[in-house]
Amino acid sequence: MAGRLRLGRRRIPIEAGDTIAMALYRAGVLTLTRSIKLHRRRGLYCGSGECASCLVTVDGVPGVRSCTTEARDGMRVRREGGWPSVEHDALAIADRLHLLLPVGFYYKTFIHPRWAWPIAERVIRRVAGLGRLPVGAPSRAASRHVMCDVLVVGAGPSGRAAAAGAAAAGASVVLCDEGWIHEPPVDVEVLERHAAIGVYEGPLVPLAGVDEVVQVHPARVVIATGAVESHPVFPGNDLPGVMLGRAAARLASGGVRIGDRAVVVVRHREGLEHLRVIRESGVRIAAAVVSDELATEVPDGIQTLVGAEVVRAEGRRRVHVAVLRGADGVSRGIGCDALVLALGMQPRDGLARMAGPGEVEVVGEAAGAASPTTARAGIVCPCEDVTVADLRRAWSEGFRSSELLKRYTTATMGPCQGAMCGRHLATFARARGAAANAAARTTARPPARPVALELLAAPVHEVIEQRTALHDLHVAAGARMSWSGSWIRPFHYSDPQAEYRAVRERVSIMDVGTLGKFLLTGPDADPLVEASFPVRAATVSVGRARYLLAVDEAGHVFDDGLLCSLGEEGWYLTSTSGGAERIEAWLRDRVDRLGLRAHVIDLTPERGAIAVAGPRSRELLSRLTDDPLDASSLPPLGVRELTVAGIPCGAIRTGFVGEVTFELHHPRSRGPELWRALMEAGSDLALLPHGLDALELLRLEKGHVYIGQDTLPDDTPAKLGLGWAAEPTERFAGRRAIERLERIPRRRRLVGLRFERGGPELRGMALHEGRRIIGRVTSAAASPAVGSTIGLGWLVGDGEGAPSHLRAGRVAAEVVATPFYDPTGERLRA
Amino acid sequence: MAIRVPCPNCGWRSATEFRWGGELRPLDAPDPEADFERVLLPANEAGPQNERWFHLLGCRRWVTVRRDTTTNEVG
Repeated sequence: MAGRLRLGRRRIPIEAGDTIAMALYRAGVLTLTRSIKLHRRRGLYCGSGECASCLVTVDGVPGVRSCTTEARDGMRVRREGGWPSVEHDALAIADRLHLLLPVGFYYKTFIHPRWAWPIAERVIRRVAGLGRLPVGAPSRAASRHVMCDVLVVGAGPSGRAAAAGAAAAGASVVLCDEGWIHEPPVDVEVLERHAAIGVYEGPLVPLAGVDEVVQVHPARVVIATGAVESHPVFPGNDLPGVMLGRAAARLASGGVRIGDRAVVVVRHREGLEHLRVIRESGVRIAAAVVSDELATEVPDGIQTLVGAEVVRAEGRRRVHVAVLRGADGVSRGIGCDALVLALGMQPRDGLARMAGPGEVEVVGEAAGAASPTTARAGIVCPCEDVTVADLRRAWSEGFRSSELLKRYTTATMGPCQGAMCGRHLATFARARGAAANAAARTTARPPARPVALELLAAPVHEVIEQRTALHDLHVAAGARMSWSGSWIRPFHYSDPQAEYRAVRERVSIMDVGTLGKFLLTGPDADPLVEASFPVRAATVSVGRARYLLAVDEAGHVFDDGLLCSLGEEGWYLTSTSGGAERIEAWLRDRVDRLGLRAHVIDLTPERGAIAVAGPRSRELLSRLTDDPLDASSLPPLGVRELTVAGIPCGAIRTGFVGEVTFELHHPRSRGPELWRALMEAGSDLALLPHGLDALELLRLEKGHVYIGQDTLPDDTPAKLGLGWAAEPTERFAGRRAIERLERIPRRRRLVGLRFERGGPELRGMALHEGRRIIGRVTSAAASPAVGSTIGLGWLVGDGEGAPSHLRAGRVAAEVVATPFYDPTGERLRA
Repeated sequence: MAIRVPCPNCGWRSATEFRWGGELRPLDAPDPEADFERVLLPANEAGPQNERWFHLLGCRRWVTVRRDTTTNEVG
């Protein structure tokens, strides 16, 4: 004895080399789980890791294939499914009440009344024979990439030969297998216990290991996944004690007696070997059912039935009678407690069928062909509990092709992914006269083998994390840093409300180095600007900035920013932090397609930017510069060079937050120096830096939209109420779209909202008028300036007549004009 | 990787370095209705079609390539 495993309170002895299923079978535990829908008893069946009949929970991990997992001392095994237990399952009544769970039941029953479905869903989830997920358990999974010349999937004889051959020819070879790989070929990288789960474009073959995902990028893929045993369909084919030849032979060669009396059906040569092993393990062979050509090879002393076939298996806890129909057409039952079916092999070709033509090379048994005979009754798909009767009913309801049968009945969708039942489905359709394409095998898709969710979530290491030059200063100031797109940005330093007040009442600074920053220059810079944006270049004076909408060829807004005229030098363009990449691609596309003599220079990585905002921002800056800052030298949306604290800056008078603001664009390397100088110079003004949390409230009070948060991908300038910002010329790529869209009535519009109470939690809520949903909240916050909760949101209609009795959830709302704060813009112009 | 894209600056590079920019379409259409078709109704060829690719993780140049959408052959 090599130890014990625990099954509930029982301790089950383990012999060396035992799998979990073997140890349990030896101890008389035949029922390993309950089936997903009908709660039928299921036990060891395929013995090779294909089907879902032996899934158990091991040490808290659900869905472990007990037939291929080695038993270890101290292992805690729990059987899944069944209520209150696998052995005494009250839900087994589902098998008798098949009417309640007809094929396609999720489309038919529990649908009405609508309120009942969430409850029914919860119950169905509970009764479905699946293990419990260890939610919250820490994951160790990682993912890595491997490049090679040849990937061989499957380390059987053909796979080994292919790997050895390729290695001998000098190729770099990776050989993987779901199980262990003993004595691998030389010069081959071995990935044992790594199952290939798909063949993707590339080719790219992800392997699911025990605690890692390996993304293999081979030049060539060899599929040597072998074959699975044919799955026979007859009533009772899933009873414990009914098993395939290889499962029985494995038990027998591991010293486990599969029963006292066995009926063994042999239809291929390998099965004769199984018969011998089973017999030698001390099992009495009640009958050997063989095909004609094998009849003479059955050992003496065994009752042999030539040409008979299994009609059904009977039994309650396990098989006790196999009913056979002889070649003479007479049926008779034979008492037995094990029924072994060695009917031949069918290629395990899921991976091969996933690949495009010529993408992979298939060798060995995986390249074979097989086609089962038509079955009259029984379980076709053991994983999903689909019977021949279910297929018939689906067919009579009009689902008359293998693909439709699959979708409607969920056959082939279980853990084996149709390895066992896929051909039955095709045969079923063919037997009913379906055309070739309607009786074809269903499309194979990843995952070809079961994969733990943990592995699918394995971290990707190639994350782009962008930081501004001021990152360390923010961290040192105790800012809460988090993701904003690909950037790590400060959300707040202390109290967002205090930061908000610093902007509104005094002065504050913010790191806006994340903005997209571009220089557009060259002789055709003006045509480039007019071809790319709905703007008339001549109307932007030198030294001034213009609010810009980036509109695509379909007339949809995809970004916004500021366009600054630098005169001879060209244009300085800022975009949103997240939109920089797209706006750059858009500009370069225009340059390329129109053959413009213009350069797009991305200054985002080399320029930093700090916004100095608040009624006392001018006072603060005047302490650090001798350049004029008055409203005539640097008016709202004015642009000029400033030297601040000895650092050359391009300054833009902006007003996103609604106060006098100077955006100082400076060489990135001098950012920390500038930030420190501003902080120091502002200490007696009680300067506080502000983060994204305060900014959200500040911009909302001004009614400024965040493209992407307040907008949808098909928003036009007019829908956003920003029609005034679109002034396309003949050159602009989207001018015809804008023209066309102007003639179509607007079906929705963005409006300002005031709520009776609430805050950011209102974001995303539906807006109701009476019982009708007529819009959605896109932003909301409690505004100190307005004294109530404000927001932005969508309303259907073109804006004629304001809706009454508007509410978001239980919160009353009304449509109001924006901006909420300083509507005349006096503070901006100060 | 199987799909490789010829960049005029960088030579043949893996498609993972590029961003796909859709079908190549005419620069303009005579009227708004034809323009709607130009922009929003792509041909969606099953077979060779001309496409735009942007060398995002490279030299950031656009290139027009002919790709067979059924085989991913780029020529």
